[in-house]
Amino acid sequence: MIILSQQLVLGFMIGGLYGLAAVGLSLIFGVLKVLNVAHGELIMLGGYGAYWLFALLGFDPFASLLLVLPLSLLLGLGLYWALFGFVVRADEETRIKNSLLIGFGLALALQALAVKLWTADERGITTPYAGTVLIVGDLAIPLVRLASLAVAFALIAALHLLLTRWRWGRAIRATAEDWQAALLTGIDVRRAYLLAFALGTGLAGAAGTLVSVGYSISPSIGLEWTLKSLIVVVLAGLGSTFGTFVGGLLLGVAEAASAAAFGGPYREVVGLVIIFAVLVARPQGLFGAR
Amino acid sequence: MHAERRWAAVILLAFAGLALVPLAVHRDDTLNLIFLILLSVTLAQSWNIIAGYAGQVNLGHAAFFGLGALVTRTLWIGGTPVLVAMAAGALVAMAFALAIGVAAFRLRGAYFAIGTLALGEILRITTGNVFAQISTLPAAAIAGYRLTLRYYLALVLAALAVVVVAALATSRLGLGITATREDEDAAEASGVNALGLKLTALVTSAALAGLAGGLFAYYHISYYPQHPFSPHWTFDALLITYIGGVGTLHGPVLGAVFYVFLAEYLATRWVDLHLLIFGALFIVIVLLLPGGLVEAGERLRRLMRPRLRR
Amino acid sequence: MLLEILGLHAAYGDVPALSGVALSVEAGEIVALLGPNGAGKTTLLKAIAGLLRPRAGTILWEGEDLGRVPSHLIVERGLAMVPEGRRLFGSMTVEENLTLGAFAARARSAQDANLERVYALFPILRERRRQIVRLLSGGQQQMVSVGRALMSSPRLLMLDEPSLGLAPLMVQAILDVLVEINRGGVAVFLVEQNVRAALTLAHRAYILETGRIVGEGGGAELLQDPHVRRAYLGPLAAPEYFVL
Repeated sequence: MIILSQQLVLGFMIGGLYGLAAVGLSLIFGVLKVLNVAHGELIMLGGYGAYWLFALLGFDPFASLLLVLPLSLLLGLGLYWALFGFVVRADEETRIKNSLLIGFGLALALQALAVKLWTADERGITTPYAGTVLIVGDLAIPLVRLASLAVAFALIAALHLLLTRWRWGRAIRATAEDWQAALLTGIDVRRAYLLAFALGTGLAGAAGTLVSVGYSISPSIGLEWTLKSLIVVVLAGLGSTFGTFVGGLLLGVAEAASAAAFGGPYREVVGLVIIFAVLVARPQGLFGAR
Repeated sequence: MHAERRWAAVILLAFAGLALVPLAVHRDDTLNLIFLILLSVTLAQSWNIIAGYAGQVNLGHAAFFGLGALVTRTLWIGGTPVLVAMAAGALVAMAFALAIGVAAFRLRGAYFAIGTLALGEILRITTGNVFAQISTLPAAAIAGYRLTLRYYLALVLAALAVVVVAALATSRLGLGITATREDEDAAEASGVNALGLKLTALVTSAALAGLAGGLFAYYHISYYPQHPFSPHWTFDALLITYIGGVGTLHGPVLGAVFYVFLAEYLATRWVDLHLLIFGALFIVIVLLLPGGLVEAGERLRRLMRPRLRR
Repeated sequence: MLLEILGLHAAYGDVPALSGVALSVEAGEIVALLGPNGAGKTTLLKAIAGLLRPRAGTILWEGEDLGRVPSHLIVERGLAMVPEGRRLFGSMTVEENLTLGAFAARARSAQDANLERVYALFPILRERRRQIVRLLSGGQQQMVSVGRALMSSPRLLMLDEPSLGLAPLMVQAILDVLVEINRGGVAVFLVEQNVRAALTLAHRAYILETGRIVGEGGGAELLQDPHVRRAYLGPLAAPEYFVL
């Protein structure tokens, strides 16, 4: 029992990162109807950004978020301008198919680039306070992971505020619901797309930073994180920022429970089974509107 | 239709030519290269059936490849003649396709892609856990290893794949399948059993992929059983088919030749960059030249035509 | 002349939808566009709103060619549309939908004033302003849709079948509001199936059949027109004859 509750808490904490990663993907998919399957690679790049800022300049990873976030936003702007901006010219079904393919090519290219630049070695950030552990009853909670969870939640809350209080945030939500009605209301839908894509990419970069400090990164983590994000998006459905975050937490806990019940190697399987089951049985997800 | 038949004839003729190569060339690296191309052709054509002709982007394709490899390897090392083992591998792959097909085809478009990716990964992880140890051929088999045997098997398989795709493309079945790809609801309304056709395409695709997996198992001396389940086999098939020309007969063949040669060339000069280049090339193709090399060839031909006065 | 349409041709693929349509709306007018289903009325509105590119012809707004204006800037020019089926942002609240109506630059400074005006026109929306729009009744949704369009301080309000799916009492309420809006100086271009109600309201009307304008005249005048009576106002065409 002691070991189980410890596992579940750890699962809960990484679930927060799953949620953050998924919210970025969900924003892009919900607004642009584009499935960027290179999302995981963007997370990976964010992680390397934080890693090198730490290794070369000694920046604390939580502080370097202040750099990685805007850089990721810019990367998102660039990717939209160069690639995904063209994808949105087609109708919805073609968009999804094309973005799937283009995202795949992008993922391939980014992963190869990362291997070329930084080798395939696994990296992690070990800060001076990395070893600090909070003892709560029988549980040992690594401070770094707890902080990551808190930051993830804070970012999600900030996004929620942006989407509700900021004029363009509301415009983004409106575009997601009905882009033609949005046009009629005077919203420049192309700009809404650009902003949503940039925000989603920014969140991916931030997630990557948190992954690099509490866990580890390597060029090949892309596919895994894209899959995790997809699982959460499908599980939670589109339309609710906090719902997606909760979906992430659920996945993290489900993985921990599965690992405890069937053994470590089967941790990954439960998420995959969930996504397949949900797609077939309840496509709108747990919190989805459609 | 006739274009398909013509191309099939051309390709089979080329294969006939390849049959003579081991008689003239005795270098293992040449035979290995051609083997790789032929294996790629088979795998790519198998994916082309479900994704190109039936229009269903199956991202869990490696599952069929892996199952074929797993069953073949297990049976063959256990003493079964390799051809029987390969047939068994294909059958298991087909059974799996049928089993998941009904559920998977309830998903459309991108969701089918994601769902099949998930299924493929489930299979890979499970295999990796159940068969964690590396699979190595017994010493006797290594001693008696003949590359030319595997070379000819690969040739036969690639020819089979081409014939199957050609037959499919020029048949009523193929017509129904492409109609379903273009507009499934309209096809259903015209009396086409869309699910039945999609399943047929998937099972055929699985059979060829399973055979390719069996060939893989017969060819490699040692590998980890979960390796052929890796999504990178799906992605290879995807890249080759798209670069060559998805939904055509000769596209995957052109793509396989191009892909293997380019990968070999880049591997010697620019190690690690071949995937970067393929990724970028793929993006360009999706955006600008969706028909791949086949489309590029046709555009060139059209450009040159006005200059030929008849 | 506020809105002038000259020789408009539109099509969906190979299927023609509008053939040489010409009409105009003057400032302060209520103009109705009537016609059977499939006549092309929605197509015409879509073309004006920039959601559809016409094959030929000109749409002039205060002398400017609207064809060159990107869709999201049409509202900036002073035209607002209440689309068919409301097309609200379902998961957002009444107030969020309304404030989005003031997204255009021209309306931003007037947002609070306009919101007050909309709530004055539709008091029930003030009560329900924090409610998710998807949960409102059809009539209330229509109010939000009209209100959203009004938030942009339009000079011309275009409505596509506002009475569709509404109870007769509701229809009358909406039409009364349109009269009031018009009295405030906003021109109204109304596409309506409810011919009697529309003609009672409108200063002028056009009749569109299979993509062509086949008739035009004053509202009261057309109410008496034999073709109109036979085609649209006879026992089979008048909604009040259906008691359900």
